[in-house]
Amino acid sequence: MCALQIPTHAPRFRRSHPLAVACCAALLSVSAARADGTRWDGNAEVSGYYDTDAVMVITPALQAAAKTESGWSASGGYLVDVVTAASVDIVSTASPRWTEVRHAGQLGAGYAFDDFGLAVHGGASFEPDYVSFGLGGEGSYNFANKQALLTLGYAFQHDTAGRTGTPFSEYALRFTRHEVDTRLELVLDRATTLTAGLDVMFEAGRQEKPYRYLPLFDADVAPRVPPGASVDLVNQLRLPGRMAERLPDTRRRAAASVRLAHRFKTSTLQLWDRVYFDGWGMLANTSDARWIVDLSPSFSLWPALRFHNQSAVTFWRRAYVGRFQDGRVDAPSFRTGDRELGRLWTASVGAGAAWALARNMRVSLELEGAYTEFPNTLYIDHRWATFAVAGFGMRFE
Amino acid sequence: MQMLRAGLVLLAAVCMLPACTPVASYERGRLAHPTMDPSTQTGPGRAHLHAVQEGAAGGSATRAGGCGCN
Repeated sequence: MCALQIPTHAPRFRRSHPLAVACCAALLSVSAARADGTRWDGNAEVSGYYDTDAVMVITPALQAAAKTESGWSASGGYLVDVVTAASVDIVSTASPRWTEVRHAGQLGAGYAFDDFGLAVHGGASFEPDYVSFGLGGEGSYNFANKQALLTLGYAFQHDTAGRTGTPFSEYALRFTRHEVDTRLELVLDRATTLTAGLDVMFEAGRQEKPYRYLPLFDADVAPRVPPGASVDLVNQLRLPGRMAERLPDTRRRAAASVRLAHRFKTSTLQLWDRVYFDGWGMLANTSDARWIVDLSPSFSLWPALRFHNQSAVTFWRRAYVGRFQDGRVDAPSFRTGDRELGRLWTASVGAGAAWALARNMRVSLELEGAYTEFPNTLYIDHRWATFAVAGFGMRFE
Repeated sequence: MQMLRAGLVLLAAVCMLPACTPVASYERGRLAHPTMDPSTQTGPGRAHLHAVQEGAAGGSATRAGGCGCN
């Protein structure tokens, strides 16, 4: 599920996956559904990610969707994440570089009648040591002469995390998520839409990573461990042994978002902002903007910006204090080494281009660079990353 | 307090409904432009990257959609 959160292990490639076969079959049936009055969309993309913490991800993905005039719709998607990592978290526990493959697929179906719409969707994700299943549905209602669209959805997710080579029957951390989301999309005028959303999530179960072990420090030493302290320095200062990560068993999360889209004569402005908070004490804000400019009827370019800023969870400590007493370790009840639970901000700058090869065929390329600062973490205090996506899309009607 | 703030954002959007300019079906050409579709803003690779690297979740820009054009 969380391919970029780096467990320190070395799983191996899988040669194939039934999920790929199932999703390909679904995509073929979607394409077979092409008939008079049916609109069919197909998209393929390959994305690549690399950062200065020695993490590399290649993700090919396929998506297809069909929509009939009678109101039925179907969609399917399949992707593979190939992650190679030798990050500082791996180095700090003297583990070797590893490569892991994740298969993920999703299917959906819907029906729209009059001003109402109903949809269901399901998905699954498989890694050698992580399995995730999800199901959901949503209903929508168009009102005010189709000036407004209200959507209410629910999704359930069940994850199982284990250790590579150990059956889930012997070792597994299980986790569930219930999510309710609401969207209200308004047509403000002939060229502008505004969408406001509120998502509420309730998570229960074990979310810590089975491979993540943390250094502990004596109470006198901990304040002297600086942000970004190197692996060597941490090893000099820490107490003997390491402690497994431990997170609270429940988490309530909520996100409110607003999206504004405006179509000018030859360009489109997309603005999006999200405010997030959760029961672990994290507050976050994310802003995203892109301005797609049509340089010609078949060619468009866009700049893109994204900024994310978050506080740390309440139990975050750069250096956790521990004490060995009578053969046992006394450490904080909750402890984590997950940088994404700590204070951080990320600024991304990118650009993209899309070219219509024919009336129903389109290729696109996006490049993005991101800088993340971690003001209060061990091992690293910043990260540079690059991300690129090449896409190909077709539409038939 | 935070829940209240989030609710106010949604409420503000609802309150803007009366301020919307009525737009007839034949006037929705710009709204139907492919770039207005939220799903074009984030592909699966990028969505997964954000999900992993940002501690926040939810509020996806790609959800919902539809300008009442059909």
